Amino acid sequence: MVAHSRTPLRVDRLRALNTPRPAQVTVDDRGNPVSVDDTGVEEVLETWRIDDEWWREPIVRRYADVVLVGGRHVVLFEDLRTRTWFAQMP
Amino acid sequence: MRSLTSAHAACLWVPLFPLRCEERRHPALAHIPTALLFPTDTKRLWLVSASARRAGVRSGMTVSQAIGLCPALTLREPDPVHYDEAFTRLLLALEAVSPVIEPAELGRAFVGVDGLDRLHGGPERQLDLIARTAGGEVWSCGSRHLRLGWARGKFLAWVAATRARPGAPLVIRDDESTEFLRQQPVAVLPIDGDTHRRLRQLGFETLADVARIPEPAIVSQFGQEGRRAWRLARGLVSEPVTGRKRPEPIVAGFDFPTPVADRAMLAHAIDKLLERALAHPRRTGWRVAGVRVRADLEHGSSWMTAVTLKDPSADPEHIAAPLRTRLDAAPPSGAVEHLEVEFVAFAPGTGELQLFARDAESAARAGRRHALTAAAREIRTRFRQSRLFHVVEVQPWSRIPERRYALIDFEP
Repeated sequence: MVAHSRTPLRVDRLRALNTPRPAQVTVDDRGNPVSVDDTGVEEVLETWRIDDEWWREPIVRRYADVVLVGGRHVVLFEDLRTRTWFAQMP
Repeated sequence: MRSLTSAHAACLWVPLFPLRCEERRHPALAHIPTALLFPTDTKRLWLVSASARRAGVRSGMTVSQAIGLCPALTLREPDPVHYDEAFTRLLLALEAVSPVIEPAELGRAFVGVDGLDRLHGGPERQLDLIARTAGGEVWSCGSRHLRLGWARGKFLAWVAATRARPGAPLVIRDDESTEFLRQQPVAVLPIDGDTHRRLRQLGFETLADVARIPEPAIVSQFGQEGRRAWRLARGLVSEPVTGRKRPEPIVAGFDFPTPVADRAMLAHAIDKLLERALAHPRRTGWRVAGVRVRADLEHGSSWMTAVTLKDPSADPEHIAAPLRTRLDAAPPSGAVEHLEVEFVAFAPGTGELQLFARDAESAARAGRRHALTAAAREIRTRFRQSRLFHVVEVQPWSRIPERRYALIDFEP
């Protein structure tokens, strides 16, 4: 919001969008996802790894951008600290 | 607070202002037949130079008609932003003469002159100062195109300016105004073209002819417009020059979900905040002359930089460029938690801006915002809370998808 400077500032509070939800993911012997919540993975488009914010609460994740059987497009990541999987929109 | 009005006015008029701007940039154009194309229709002529007029070229003609009449005609596409910036510089220069400045349209402005006699002398000396200010370094095409009129009220000052010759300002003192008005053609009345045509068909040639008719007779023929014309012709209307108060500062800011130290990210965030602040309805018709960026840093410290724009602007790129330079030269000493952009000084734009795309967009935005405000109020009434949000870009390049966009309460 654009606020009037001579009135008390109404500081913008951002709400998270596209927050990750826990997902049941099975992987093959190379660690690539083969199914998400009992739906098969048609294609893995891209994978990447994030190591960030080591100075506070570290974020260590392995991402996979996948297309599921039926054409749905989702981004999966494995939290490498807790070994749990999450899914979210691309 | 002192009222920003003035009963007496000096009218400054640069006829064909956009063409004069082009001649200033390309002096060779002053000696050849030239025409500018319409900003919205490049197949038709908008403004035509005197030498092109002598060849029979007229505003509103198609390009092919004009070239047929004058094969040597030079056509130029208009540059409305440049004309507006030139006019803004002219208005800023005039503020050195009087604090009461009212722009009327591109190339025409009123200067409030009440009280200036003690500073600068009588009307002739005031007009001389205005001519030197407008015709000097700021408006370097010189004063040969400048027309100046001085009188009580804006209408009379404008008529005086239209009757003045370049280099010979016309002063109409209060005791001369009635006689001066009587001699003027009805064409000087600010009424619509249809009323002008009907007045001419009825044999009215001068304002004396209009003033001679009883008011009820002219009102029965022409309604409100006729009443206004009759009152102007009799010298009963004297509208003061009204200076515009500058808007209060405009602030746009947001909190980062996680503190950001990356300069590219901060520069992007500043760009986004500038766009939001420029979209504020209070900014319409004003250019930004001063901008400040403030940041709350991790661990409770803060950072601030301020820029005064040499050429006030409403162009986000133009405003952002010096801020980026400052950001590179003296970046915040820590990660930023909250960032804020504040427009602290403004320079006047013109009413004419509404004609052109950028400010036509502002006007459209203001209209949409009004409709959104009404809808948001209705939703809040029904659901007892706002359920409307903006989606805003936070770090659209981020490899962490939940950081790319966020929701923000929509509170118009």
